[in-house]
Amino acid sequence: MKTINTDKDRDRDKEAKKAAMKELRGVRKNLIAAASATMKLQRKELAAIKAFLKAEAATIPQIAAAIDMPTDKTLWYMATLKKYGQIIEAQKEGAFFKYALNEADNPPKKAEA
Amino acid sequence: MVPTNTKNFDTLVVGGGIAGLQTALDLGDQGYSVAVVEKDASIGGKMIRLSKVFPTLDCASCITTPKMSAVAHHENITLFTYCTLNSLDHDNSGEDSGNKFPGINAPGVKATGLKALITQNPRYVDPIKCIGCRQCEYVCPVHVPDMEQGGLSATKVICIPFSNAIPQLPMMDIENCMLCGQCEKACPTNAIDYFQKPERFIITAKTAVITTGFDLLPVRDNVQYGNAKIPNVIDSLQMERLLAPHGPYNRVLRPSDGMEPDSIAYVQCAGSRDKSTGVSYCSRVCCMYAIKQAMLLSGSLPLADIIIYYMDIRAFGKGYEQFYQNAKAMGIEFIKAKVARIDEGENGQAQVRYELQDGSGIATADHDLVILSMGMIPAWNPGAICPVSKDSDKFITSIKPKISPVLTDMEGVFVAGAAAGPKDIVDTITESGCAAMEAAKFMSKRLVEN
Ligand SMILES: Cc1cc2nc3c(=O)[nH]c(=O)nc-3n(C[C@H](O)[C@H](O)[C@H](O)COP(=O)(O)OP(=O)(O)OC[C@H]3O[C@@H](n4cnc5c(N)ncnc54)[C@H](O)[C@@H]3O)c2cc1C
Repeated sequence: MKTINTDKDRDRDKEAKKAAMKELRGVRKNLIAAASATMKLQRKELAAIKAFLKAEAATIPQIAAAIDMPTDKTLWYMATLKKYGQIIEAQKEGAFFKYALNEADNPPKKAEA
Repeated sequence: MVPTNTKNFDTLVVGGGIAGLQTALDLGDQGYSVAVVEKDASIGGKMIRLSKVFPTLDCASCITTPKMSAVAHHENITLFTYCTLNSLDHDNSGEDSGNKFPGINAPGVKATGLKALITQNPRYVDPIKCIGCRQCEYVCPVHVPDMEQGGLSATKVICIPFSNAIPQLPMMDIENCMLCGQCEKACPTNAIDYFQKPERFIITAKTAVITTGFDLLPVRDNVQYGNAKIPNVIDSLQMERLLAPHGPYNRVLRPSDGMEPDSIAYVQCAGSRDKSTGVSYCSRVCCMYAIKQAMLLSGSLPLADIIIYYMDIRAFGKGYEQFYQNAKAMGIEFIKAKVARIDEGENGQAQVRYELQDGSGIATADHDLVILSMGMIPAWNPGAICPVSKDSDKFITSIKPKISPVLTDMEGVFVAGAAAGPKDIVDTITESGCAAMEAAKFMSKRLVEN
């Protein structure tokens, strides 16, 4: 195993890693571009869902209609937010369940003094 | 490049499903050293992905996890997960493989030892440093379909495949990674390694047991059932996830809009017993798992109508007929009919068109959720990898199907579980014990001869 002795060694390793990462980014340029575009869209869509839920709990069709997203995609996101603890299931309305933001995971911002 | 890294074992088990785990335990407990090579990132096979199991309705995870853990902690068993088997054949190279049968590798001597070439695929995570804390997964900003949940929810580009996966190691999907570095920053043990490469190694063994299991025929290949394009028409393994406590929605909902379904239908022999799909045989377990799922559904959705469209019910095992009768008594409707096609209906429903087998004609019905009991096909094609023979159904040939169904046409190579043909867990476990016994017998016989 390699031991890092001096600051100089550490700096050299850092530089080498930086160069290797740059090269890897070059090799994976197209994949990275596609993944970044996906991530940006997902971030926007997730933010829209969460913003809508700030006001009140809602069913999948209600959320989908409000943010203009297909219902299956909305459910896909909601299942994911639930898995990562960001939303919780609330009461039932007809054949649908409502979902609410998990306050424990999204603490409300302190009111401005 | 020829790998130089060689590991020697008594038995190589290919496939870490319930068949592979049971075989490994039965051999390991007798003192044999066993290597289990699994292509997925976790062991457990289909069984760990099921909700409950017929005929006992035990929780699948509760009975599979202890076996997975016993294998992982067994002193005589070594796990190789996320690996590709590149070749498996008799070894007559003349190299010293370190095994106890003098002479088997000498040139000109009939080869009985086996040699497998394996690739360890990169996870992009150092397995020694990783502590399985999932911090990498939590901070990863890119979502991808979670195939462990039938694609019905999302996971992250770097993730541990499922909560009780063994080993608890994440893996990175580099096709969808944007190299943002967040996982690396969050990792408390510096385990992220963007530069990891595949590593090849050799396993030598005296015997091998093939336990590569089955896959379901893909719904997308089935034209008359909508090529997987009709909303709310899913396959039976997706339904297992909907029924599982850690499923995508933690309850049974319609994937198109989250509605609790009120009318649910099972289409049996979807692709099985059908020459046009290449699956002319019966997949054997579909009747029983459809009945099981229907019973579980009637427990979680007591007001829903549950219908099973079937050609014949094959309740073949001990207590299975009673299981079927119980399902009927619970109010599950069995309609003897062949489903000809499925179309998109109104309001997210699927329209099922079927021909009644009593000759009374053709009918249609709309359902909120339709489950296709797709035919079972072999998960592995030995092809150019291993010279073991396949049957006309493409599962591994058993040369003595009556008196010893685990024998293949390769000396020292045995088969168990669904790799030899569709079967349930009870038969898989029995066959695995039998394969372990045949392998042990083979090894002790050789030891005496030499
Ligand atoms: C929807 C559904 C529900 C079911 N429910 C029940 C039930 O309730 N009760 C019951 O008794 N049975 C049930 N079954 C049947 C049960 O799933 C099988 O009996 C059991 O999974 C067979 O185990 P196996 O280990 O032989 O195969 P698998 O579970 O398929 O495991 C095979 C393993 O081998 C690995 N593998 C494949 N190819 C390779 C390769 N080339 N290299 C390395 N590894 C490889 C796979 O990744 C997998 O981990 C059900 C089946 C289905 C489809």
